[in-house]
Amino acid sequence: MTKILDEKTMCAAAEWWTRLRDPNGAAKTMDQWLEWTQADECNLEAFERVTELGNRLGCLDDVTRRQWANEFARRPAPRQRWLPLAAAASALLALFGSYLAWSHLEAVEAPRDYASAVAQNRSITLPDGSKVVLGGASTLTTRFSRGERRVELGGGEAFFQVVHNTQRPFIVSAGNVSIRDVGTAFDVRRTGQRVTIAITQGRVQIADDGGAPGSTATGSLEAVAGQLVSYDPATSAMSISSITPAQATAWRDDRLEFINEPLGVVVANVNRYSARPVHIADANLEALTFTGTIKTGAIDSWLGALPQIFPLRVSEDASQVTLSHAEPGQKAPLPTSQ
Amino acid sequence: MDTLSRATDASLDTLALPAHAAQVAELFREHNRALIAFLRCRLNSMSDAQELAQDAYLRLLTLEHPERIDSLRAYLFRIATNLAVDRLRMRKVRNDMPIEQPSEDLHSSPIPERHVWAAEQLRDMRDALRELPAKTSQAFVMHVIEGWDFNVVAHAMRLSERMVRYHVSNALAHCRARVDQLEMP
Repeated sequence: MTKILDEKTMCAAAEWWTRLRDPNGAAKTMDQWLEWTQADECNLEAFERVTELGNRLGCLDDVTRRQWANEFARRPAPRQRWLPLAAAASALLALFGSYLAWSHLEAVEAPRDYASAVAQNRSITLPDGSKVVLGGASTLTTRFSRGERRVELGGGEAFFQVVHNTQRPFIVSAGNVSIRDVGTAFDVRRTGQRVTIAITQGRVQIADDGGAPGSTATGSLEAVAGQLVSYDPATSAMSISSITPAQATAWRDDRLEFINEPLGVVVANVNRYSARPVHIADANLEALTFTGTIKTGAIDSWLGALPQIFPLRVSEDASQVTLSHAEPGQKAPLPTSQ
Repeated sequence: MDTLSRATDASLDTLALPAHAAQVAELFREHNRALIAFLRCRLNSMSDAQELAQDAYLRLLTLEHPERIDSLRAYLFRIATNLAVDRLRMRKVRNDMPIEQPSEDLHSSPIPERHVWAAEQLRDMRDALRELPAKTSQAFVMHVIEGWDFNVVAHAMRLSERMVRYHVSNALAHCRARVDQLEMP
């Protein structure tokens, strides 16, 4: 049934595929592509085939996707040696670049995206000298302009050590919450729309989105070192409790600390470090609250111990771990190995 | 007098409409396959491609002044491009929202686009990728498998976007040729 199309046609089709996927592609690309598809009936056929494969590969299951990412998309080791130097050089370049930019009228830097892989923390020095450590599977976008330094936490967790500059406030937005530094180090974790902010040094202003940070609008509060502020999207309320700097940044030493967090949130964060995704089958398990420490290197033993503290069952296969309700009356199994 | 001119306008309208509809029908006959292929390329989903193509024809059909448009074909693909951009933006917003949601969805709701790969096919694909230069397979996996945009891949790999597209195209053609070879009797 399948006929082999010649290599040249297939290469041309694949090239069109990437050109058409470019969001900044010119309108005339489309016309040229249409002409190409009409030039020979094999062309559209070849294009459909590469598109079909691209589609199919884009929908791989999580496990395979992660395996392939680990094998192919991890940066080659030799490059790592260059990183500190390259990072320093690019920071210098960026500083120089932004100096040039400021000296001109338009002072907006292009947004930059940063992302970390599952189970990997990543240290970044931003162009202004501020330092960020990204937790596993986290994304960050910086939008720096002359007037302010804006950072968006797309998801996951990040610890910020901000170089203070009153002329150019540093503002982190995470979903509906924005945090403005007043000379500070703090940690932000975003799990969906739920956000927790732990201040380890100095103070920050935290605002509900809409309320402009900095203005003393309602919905904005000031938090100081040692405080943990949690934003609950269900009620749009912020609650304050206390936390030590060591607890707040434990994840940097491969430990995840949770204080009265819903199990759903805990699991979502564990998944940022887990080789196999953990999945909660029964929605009402998500509301159970958990306080404790999980070692990112020993997620399995944490899972093994879960039935001891919660009425749930852990079942696993090669691709995932599932948490479901324990059968009524069933006793929690003994720990498998200790 | 006034009623007369209005009546003339109305009859012109009814004359113009079927002609326009016939043009759209012809566009559909000639270019539907390309339109679907284009949308699928952009959206990575056959069902979304079909849905948006329908939507694009409908918008073309209900145009108030089709006669003002130079090329209906170009216009059709422009509508489709805009619809695709909106759809991708909508997906992005949905993804950015709750982190746990996507993984939840993967398990609970049946997604029509979940293609089943046999273990053997996956191994063949992986082998095909291993034959490629490291940068080629890396760019391919980052863009196609992990879904990063070209600019993000370019930034991570310290390459130009053009080079990233070049690597991705090469790997895709290579993999497609391998699939075809294996599917040959």
